[in-house]
Amino acid sequence: MTTATQYAKWAELTEGVERELTVGPITRTDLVRYAGASGDFNPNHHDEIYAIRAGFDKPFAHGMLQGGYLARLLSEWLGPDSFKNLKIRFSAQAWPGDMVICKARVVRQYEEAGNRLVEIEASAANQRGDVLIKAEAIAALRA
Amino acid sequence: MPLDKSVLERTFPEFEFRLERGKIREYALALGLTDPVHTDLEAAKAAGFDDLLAPPTFVRQFWHENPGNDPMPHLGYDPKRRLHGEQEFEYHKPLVAGMNLNGRNTIVSTREKEGRRGGMMTFVVIETRFVDEAGELVQVARRTLIETAAPPKEG
Repeated sequence: MTTATQYAKWAELTEGVERELTVGPITRTDLVRYAGASGDFNPNHHDEIYAIRAGFDKPFAHGMLQGGYLARLLSEWLGPDSFKNLKIRFSAQAWPGDMVICKARVVRQYEEAGNRLVEIEASAANQRGDVLIKAEAIAALRA
Repeated sequence: MPLDKSVLERTFPEFEFRLERGKIREYALALGLTDPVHTDLEAAKAAGFDDLLAPPTFVRQFWHENPGNDPMPHLGYDPKRRLHGEQEFEYHKPLVAGMNLNGRNTIVSTREKEGRRGGMMTFVVIETRFVDEAGELVQVARRTLIETAAPPKEG
């Protein structure tokens, strides 16, 4: 059996604790693989001529690819079934060749109705520091 | 084009989807997830799940598999000015392979706002509720679609 992922314990997740994940540089193959996996075949994400005619320089990443990377950071940190809520806001596109630098921080650690919860603020930026997405999550930890 | 507010009254048919192991693995690999609960059945069971666990953003897949039930084409948006502004997920029960869910789309809100360079921007929130065979709520997804203001006419 593969090695189980070790998630953070609730007690360690005090306010201000951070976690990072850098993905990339993203490739056109990553975009095509995500299109197949998600079923999102919007041509802006793989068809050069279509994207240029729509006013873009070239195909760009699905917002939910970056959103998925950010969710991966949270999921492998807090536990994949810990989420109560996850909200992602899209600000800018990621282009092939870009890095996606995901950062998350505990902004609140609290107990409510017997649940051990954390509130997280997260964002993903490219290598130039431009914010691509921002996210907020609430997670209930197993322990 | 101004938003046709009658979309708020429209109902969209319920649709079915089955969570398949292969699709869950494919989705997890596309995002580079290393947690074996998404790819290795034994690991998923050892972690207390009945089958492979779907990654947190997995339900994204089903909107594209059910184009006939998707409210998006009925908004009258110009595809070249359409943006995915926000995506929210609300989790009630773990989503694992083998589950047979029913989904239903509703347009829950619409709003217009003046764009920075003139013209109107339109915001529409589409909610998708997924229930299991017992009728219990599993997950709710809300996506905000924006139609940006039309560029000013030249000349």
